[in-house]
Amino acid sequence: MKKADMIASVVLLALAGYVIQDAWRMPPSATFGPSAGFLPFWLGILLAVLATILFVTNLKRETTEKDREAVFPGKKALFAITLVMAGLAVYIELIEVLGFLVDTFLFILFLVKVVEREPWRLTLTVAVSTTVVLFITFQILLKITLPSNMFGF
Amino acid sequence: MFDVDIFHNLILGFQVATTWQNLLFCLIGVTIGTLIGVLPGIGPTTGIAILIPVTFGMSATTAIITMAGIYYGAMYGGSTTSILINLPGESASVMTMLDGYQMARKGRAGPALGMAALASFIAGTFSIIMLTLIAPPLASYAVSFGPPEYFALTFMGLTLVSALGGDNPLKAYISAVVGLLVACIGIDAISGVARFTFDDANLLDGVGFIGMAIGLFAISEILVNIEEPMKQVFSDAKLGFMSLFPNLQDWKDSFGALWRGSVLGFFIGTLPGSGATLCSFIAYAVEKKVSKHPEKFGTGVIEGVAAPEGANNAAAGGGMVPLLTLGIPSGGATAVMLGALMIHGLRPGPMLFSTNPEFVWGLIASMYIGNVFLIILNMPLIGIWVQLLKVPYKVLMPLILTIAATGIFATDNNIFDMWIMFFFGLVGYVMRKLGFPAAPMVLALVLGRLVEMSLRQSLTISHGSISIFFNRPISGVLMVVALLSLFSPLIHSLWVRYKSGKEKDFTPSEW
Repeated sequence: MKKADMIASVVLLALAGYVIQDAWRMPPSATFGPSAGFLPFWLGILLAVLATILFVTNLKRETTEKDREAVFPGKKALFAITLVMAGLAVYIELIEVLGFLVDTFLFILFLVKVVEREPWRLTLTVAVSTTVVLFITFQILLKITLPSNMFGF
Repeated sequence: MFDVDIFHNLILGFQVATTWQNLLFCLIGVTIGTLIGVLPGIGPTTGIAILIPVTFGMSATTAIITMAGIYYGAMYGGSTTSILINLPGESASVMTMLDGYQMARKGRAGPALGMAALASFIAGTFSIIMLTLIAPPLASYAVSFGPPEYFALTFMGLTLVSALGGDNPLKAYISAVVGLLVACIGIDAISGVARFTFDDANLLDGVGFIGMAIGLFAISEILVNIEEPMKQVFSDAKLGFMSLFPNLQDWKDSFGALWRGSVLGFFIGTLPGSGATLCSFIAYAVEKKVSKHPEKFGTGVIEGVAAPEGANNAAAGGGMVPLLTLGIPSGGATAVMLGALMIHGLRPGPMLFSTNPEFVWGLIASMYIGNVFLIILNMPLIGIWVQLLKVPYKVLMPLILTIAATGIFATDNNIFDMWIMFFFGLVGYVMRKLGFPAAPMVLALVLGRLVEMSLRQSLTISHGSISIFFNRPISGVLMVVALLSLFSPLIHSLWVRYKSGKEKDFTPSEW
């Protein structure tokens, strides 16, 4: 945790630096009163101060037993998380190409079969029922036009 | 005069709440809430966030009735798994586990579940009565607030959320500051300057609230759950309806816990930043302190169930007070509700009581009705909820993920919002891992515009002097509270150093 906190504070300091210089360059107020850059500028300063405190307190404190535990999970769990997020990215990217029905069906198929390694019967049941329930809820009951593919579904 | 007003308003409220749509959606809301409470791995904040898009077809009143129902419904449901399988359905029920599960192991699962439901009902109803009495005068008082008061109020809300919301206030402050920065993204409402948009037209309107909330709460929750697969645990407790009723001795034992839990839960619950979880921790700790036999806590005493379960329900009602009267949420779940109401075009705050009485009173009346629904759902029908525990998370996960994604798309018909969800899902996961709480960030995004407008308006009025926040009595008091809570970590660490060497006391952060 100690090392992770110090890395986090460096990232936050960089973010604060970016915010401060960007806010500094925002145009001054044409009329009376604080300008558009006013709040971001001071928030940037505040963030820099807080990140510095986080860094310094972690630098000064003794390493405890808890610090030796890994912050992020092992390779297997990270792989599963990467799979889910990659699947989600592909799902978002393809939803207007494949249409809601096909895209959602394939995404759930991927989640249950590939990520969770369930048997085909459960996979298909979950994929079909979830897709149908979502379609009925949003498209039919709530009358929201969900994306469709070139064939119209 | 005043009492007559409240009476009239309540009648108006019940007229609104008993239309068939509102009754139906109140029932749907509390049912979903109970379900979310029962199922581990999905909490009320996530539940409300992913269901916001579904509420867009409804009127604002029906929408808030549904969302509030999910919130206090989850407080009922959460106790079931805590008691039966020693796994909290949501975080506000963690304390119920300590004695509830021990009672179940001694064969007293029935009275434990029954007391949890009855305590929830009693404390929940108490807190709605308090809400009915306290909210209107507070709102009429707050109508006179100007920009300095609003700035002081939002500032206090943000510092309290950060100071009370977790065990590392510094990280909570950082989370809040980053949230305020995210709120700055887009076109500045006063000067028209585009800020931090990275030349992307999608960001000119600012970062979509729903995408961010769902990403930070729901997606990150899914990712954490994937990483540690949940064990399937079943309970074989036989639960006849009659076995649910606590006996006379149980009532005697729980009486003190019930009223202390109700009062504590409500009043602490009204503080911005407290939330139901903290209230249940405090109620349990207090009960242990005042008990004649504190050593028995944790071995299955019924007070240990009644106090936290009462407190978390009272807190759900208490949290509505700042939300409705001041437009300041008390925690993550109410922040999400506030964001949803703003999308519905309502600006919760003191004016709401005079401009939209049917909305405010309809909600309050629906909470009385919802609590009656819940006691029915949770006493005779408890067996059904226990069966639902057999639904495995692997079925739930794709369902939550696709509801979230579809709902976000449905909000604006915009793929970009889904990417916002994706991005904040990753951010939220890293934040969870590093111990940065998400609630202050979401609260900051919801309140960001108000913080900035009131700050800049105040400074314009005062010609740039910050003394305006301290000269006016109300904003002065609020600022002092805010600054005290801001420096509370420092005061606390000095106190700990002073006490070091002595035996460590019970603190919620240990849990």
